Amino acid sequence: MNNSPPVSPDSRIRFSNIGVDTGGTFTDLVLIDDRGLIRTEKSFSTPEAREKGVFDVLECAARALNTSISDILSRTDIFAHGTTASTNALIQRRGARVGVLFTAGFEDTMAIARGPIGRVGGLPQSQAMDFIHTEPPEPIVPRDMVRGVVERIGSDGEIVTPLNEDALRRSVRELVADGAESIAVCLLWAFRNAEHEERVATICEEVAPGIPISLSHQIAPKMGEFERAVTTVINAYIGPLTQEYIGDLDRGLAADGLANSIQVITSTGGAARAANVGQQAVSIVNSGPVGGLVAARFLGDQLGHEKIITADMGGTSFDVGLIDGNTLEEDPRPFLDQGLPVTLPAVKLITIGAGGGSIAWTDGYRLHVGPQSAGADPGPAAYGRGGADPTVTDALVVCGIVDPDNFFGGAYKLDPSLSERAIMDRIAIPLGLDLPEAAAGILEIVNARMANLIRKVSIESGHDPSGFALYAYGGATGAHCAEFARHLGIGKLILPYAGPVFSALGVAIADIAYSHTRSEPMPLTVDRIEAINANFATLRTSAAADMQAAGIDPAECTFRHRIEMRYRGQMNEVTLDWPSDRLDPGDIDVLRNLFEAYYQKRFGAGTVRAETPLELISFRVEATHATRRPALAARDETAIEQTVPKTRPVYLRDTGYVDADIIDFATLKAGPTYHGPAVIERDTTTIWLPPGATATMDPYGNLAVIPQAAP
Amino acid sequence: MIDPITFEVVKHRLWQINDEQGLAIKTISASPIVVEGNDYNVGLFTADAELVTAGIGSLVHVTTMGDAVASVIKGADALQAGDAYMLNDPFLGALHQNDVVVASPLMRGGKVFMWIANVLHHPDVGGIDEGSFCINARTLDDDPPRFFMKILDRGELVTESEQIFVNNSRLPDAVALDLRAQIGAINVATERLQALLDERGEDIVRDVMTQSIDLAERQVRDFIRGLPNGSWSGEAYMDGVRVGDERICKVALTLTCKDDTLHFDYTGSSDQVDAAVNSTISATVAGSAVPLYSFLCQGDIDWNDGLKRCIEVFAPEGTVVNATYPAPVSISTVGFRWLVTVAATQAVARMFDSSVDHRDRACPSWNSSSNCNNIFAMLPDGRRTGSLLSDHRGSGAAGRSFGDGFHHAGTVTSYASSLGNIESAEWKLPVLYLYRRRLKDSAGAGEFRGGATSEVAITPYGVNELTLKLTNTAGTEQTNAHGINGGYPGAGSQSVIVRETDVDDRLDGDTPVSGLKDLDGTLTWLPSKADEIIHKGDVYGFWAAGGGGFGDPLNRTAEKVAEDIRTGIVSAPEAARLYGVAVSPDGSVDERATSALRDAINTSRRTGIDAGNMETANPCPACGNSDGVTRSRQPMHRAGPWIARRYDGDGPNFELQETNCRSCAALIDVSEVLKQPAPAESH
Repeated sequence: MNNSPPVSPDSRIRFSNIGVDTGGTFTDLVLIDDRGLIRTEKSFSTPEAREKGVFDVLECAARALNTSISDILSRTDIFAHGTTASTNALIQRRGARVGVLFTAGFEDTMAIARGPIGRVGGLPQSQAMDFIHTEPPEPIVPRDMVRGVVERIGSDGEIVTPLNEDALRRSVRELVADGAESIAVCLLWAFRNAEHEERVATICEEVAPGIPISLSHQIAPKMGEFERAVTTVINAYIGPLTQEYIGDLDRGLAADGLANSIQVITSTGGAARAANVGQQAVSIVNSGPVGGLVAARFLGDQLGHEKIITADMGGTSFDVGLIDGNTLEEDPRPFLDQGLPVTLPAVKLITIGAGGGSIAWTDGYRLHVGPQSAGADPGPAAYGRGGADPTVTDALVVCGIVDPDNFFGGAYKLDPSLSERAIMDRIAIPLGLDLPEAAAGILEIVNARMANLIRKVSIESGHDPSGFALYAYGGATGAHCAEFARHLGIGKLILPYAGPVFSALGVAIADIAYSHTRSEPMPLTVDRIEAINANFATLRTSAAADMQAAGIDPAECTFRHRIEMRYRGQMNEVTLDWPSDRLDPGDIDVLRNLFEAYYQKRFGAGTVRAETPLELISFRVEATHATRRPALAARDETAIEQTVPKTRPVYLRDTGYVDADIIDFATLKAGPTYHGPAVIERDTTTIWLPPGATATMDPYGNLAVIPQAAP
Repeated sequence: MIDPITFEVVKHRLWQINDEQGLAIKTISASPIVVEGNDYNVGLFTADAELVTAGIGSLVHVTTMGDAVASVIKGADALQAGDAYMLNDPFLGALHQNDVVVASPLMRGGKVFMWIANVLHHPDVGGIDEGSFCINARTLDDDPPRFFMKILDRGELVTESEQIFVNNSRLPDAVALDLRAQIGAINVATERLQALLDERGEDIVRDVMTQSIDLAERQVRDFIRGLPNGSWSGEAYMDGVRVGDERICKVALTLTCKDDTLHFDYTGSSDQVDAAVNSTISATVAGSAVPLYSFLCQGDIDWNDGLKRCIEVFAPEGTVVNATYPAPVSISTVGFRWLVTVAATQAVARMFDSSVDHRDRACPSWNSSSNCNNIFAMLPDGRRTGSLLSDHRGSGAAGRSFGDGFHHAGTVTSYASSLGNIESAEWKLPVLYLYRRRLKDSAGAGEFRGGATSEVAITPYGVNELTLKLTNTAGTEQTNAHGINGGYPGAGSQSVIVRETDVDDRLDGDTPVSGLKDLDGTLTWLPSKADEIIHKGDVYGFWAAGGGGFGDPLNRTAEKVAEDIRTGIVSAPEAARLYGVAVSPDGSVDERATSALRDAINTSRRTGIDAGNMETANPCPACGNSDGVTRSRQPMHRAGPWIARRYDGDGPNFELQETNCRSCAALIDVSEVLKQPAPAESH
């Protein structure tokens, strides 16, 4: 994608931010120069040698700028990276051989896996509901690489059984002899008293100097040993590989002239410096789609949107995220893979199997869409690669929204007769529908599912989706977003100019962030004020130390203080922001009021109970160092004139065929209003404007869509 | 008739709204049994109390919620928008008194358009025993109170009702929050449904609701029509109904598939007892439906009342499976309701096993005993705390026709019922766990073995005593952990207490407690219902059942058995005894020794007592001959080391009956049967 103006190799222009996001298929690059102009590139990923993909996409940029990679790098301030390397290593079970140390008596923590959580947790519901056929996942650590440590800490943090160091030394020696390349330590209640874990680390270092060690009280200092163990073990599993890859890339780029160490986006939407990435490798897993939310927040700042729902539909899945007043909604216990829940701050992204490749099917009773996907191979029937199942893309072809001769800018030739046959044979005939009705039905069902997912994400956290702006990006979203936005009563829909590489934009501008958590359950009473403030102070010191280690002056950072709390006895916590770094005695009531206001908003009248005491479960401090980035500049390119008006019949469920304008994205100008029914064709995506919808482009190239004109 | 697209769109929306109801419950609840055990459910109902869509909580509530809503319709007067009722009366549709149903009418134009309801297991609702599983109750008077109250009046909490309910509980803070979870869920669903109705109109939503149930019914009937007509039996025994009463009771089931209907006939089950384990008819219908939702509907057919229309349940009045007033029933759901599900799971598995197309769905047992442990204590600060431990969900599931059973499988009533973290339990209760680990040799032997269970041991921490109310469904003498087609049962569900041990010294020192036998103290195996104080220095241990095996263990490949030895599922001696497999010191299969062991087992099988021709004259599944079978009686411990520990593996009432093919000696069936007089006398 090179719609940006050609930039002369003017050595006075610096590149303030480069973001490279490596996905499964494509590696995307966003380059922002210090005038605020954005340039984007896309090339194929190279899973067998990941660094190569990064240099390939840089080479594309260098060629377009008529210069060399080293010239670009020598003029670059911040180079940021998003990678699926850690995610893939986990999913494909290609991590390190980990030796695991649990408190003796609890060696089976990962094998028992809290029962069904370890087997069906994290799977789509329909799969989990199939009691008898859903097999457990492959373990990440074989049972014989686990050893018990004779020690015990009680729920009050007191030492019940002292650490048996001789036995521990023997165990560590055994694990190393059995090939351990990395050690994970998860002792019961270590998050309340870290003495034993710290001593274990010292002994591991003595026995096996230099071996990477992941300690549960550092990686995931939260109550709940299974999730803590999973988090710690995954960190140990992918840490060495992640550190090696990022380290190599960092050195490679430095050798080519990059002055500053690279930064890597994490699942919180912040970025970590290369030097300490291995110690928190687990936070890089599944960070891929988080970039999109960071970019949406950035763009929202520019466009004046505080409440944003993000929608990203690709070939196989549909991801939804939520931003409320600069805050990215969090998921306290995400699953990184089947049966592997972690306890880690992570941006909440809810996914369903609804993408362009989702298969429409019927069991003879109902019309279903997904969650199975035809993927890229064989892909939709229209690809002509032998796929006989009708997909969402086929339905778009049959309805006339997607032009079979101009799909992905003509890069793929589609055969509409294959789409028609697939929908006719597998859907229309069995259900007694005619062809366009069946195709439009597939679209309506998939649109409704997407609308339902957005309802779920927003309403679950107490928000009404109609008060949000919807940011739609990802290759397949454009054809659907105006329809599902209409279902949700959303009035503002933005299709960002950088939509095709949106994650890379987020990667480029993500702030450096380090977060520290401490779990110390206590009642919310005045006599605990000191303990609360001590926790905040300790956490702040740790976060500041991380910044220091990353070469950043803590004085330039902002600190955010958060408290997780609940009614005494509850099982789930509510996370609240506390606006200062300490509590005063008078704040006890303020905090309680904050809690109850949130609670009432979320669960309605009659759910608050004044008689029940509150308990604080954990504390968190996040340090953020703003990544410098220029304000985006208006595009100064001139649109191509569309000479011959073009229309195409599009089938709609309510009204039958309508004549839709066919508009080339490259001809869009900032200012005028475009009216639906219309199809806007861009080289990487197709945008559908239903009748009544309007679109205008802003000076930055973002398309603002009003799904339906006000009555 | 609504077009299939609108139907799908609106149906999915209803499902989503109901799912949100469930999420509100799980978020607000203060109860591990809800959040971790999934013992709750949510539903949307027609104006006539037919269930349209159920949540993903416990399946036992799916059919009973509608019974409770029907009772509210009958008992409530002058309904207004925003009203809600709560009831926990097992004779009005609650499974047992802990399960409080909250139901609210959704009004449109002054009329009831539909009902929203949910049910949640409260940790204590009164009655003579802590936790409200009243193991000492003899009549309903000893059981917890039965409430039927208006809890929301036009959207406002009815404080009097709340007070009555909360003040009858030993854990007022907990049940008050749980009640709020239920109200919050109703609030959420009401708001979303009103929006949906405004958007789509009442006619469409009503039609979609009706057609959803009709569709599920049609799908289930079509499925049943594809099963062979015939009858299959299922059974389960209880070895102790009340503290101090260890009589043996039975659930007997004949499942008949006829055309498009399944008939569950419980004739032959024991008379109702003066103990709280009885099941009401609502609970028995619910328990019967569980394996059908799990294995027949799976994720393909909606969990609603469509299924209920396709089953007929007959249970004679006055039996443990259709108890009548004033029988106490507060343990029902882990008492005879549980055993109804055990018997139904076995019969349904036999039915699927006889079907060529659906044999893959046969799974004869899945957590066959709920080894429930209510622990209560006074904390040093004077507060009372109490909770049900979650460890019984570490139970195993039976082997399948194509693969081994799942370890630590949770329950067949909910795919999401999980074990809690040790740290959560220790935070909630003043206990210290000594271990939670996989129990070796607890998986029933078979060609596809069952899944293993897990065992735990606890001791008081920071207090001098804990009150234990043990409500173990059954398993101290027999197991009910059925195998199928020659697979052995898994471990029985059991509990043990070791008094006045050296545990505190051991915790201080360097020799950790490796097991209960390793403690210095007095070891007592407990009956299935027990009321004990666990003192400082005592250690309490328990586990739930393992899964039964599928098929003759001699058909299991030696390599798989060796792998089980390596991974700690099976010990070498048990591998030799049950599977006839020997391994070399390096862990690989010793082919020669294995061959000799398997020959010896085959020879010994031929010594069984001649039982004449097979009743059905079916050919042997192994060799195809129809020469009949031989039968032999064996002590229970033949199936494994973790059975009938209280009686050293051979109790007064039960033994194993093994059935072999007379021609090829293949093991065709292993059943737990009541001991009889010696065969010579009985002939």
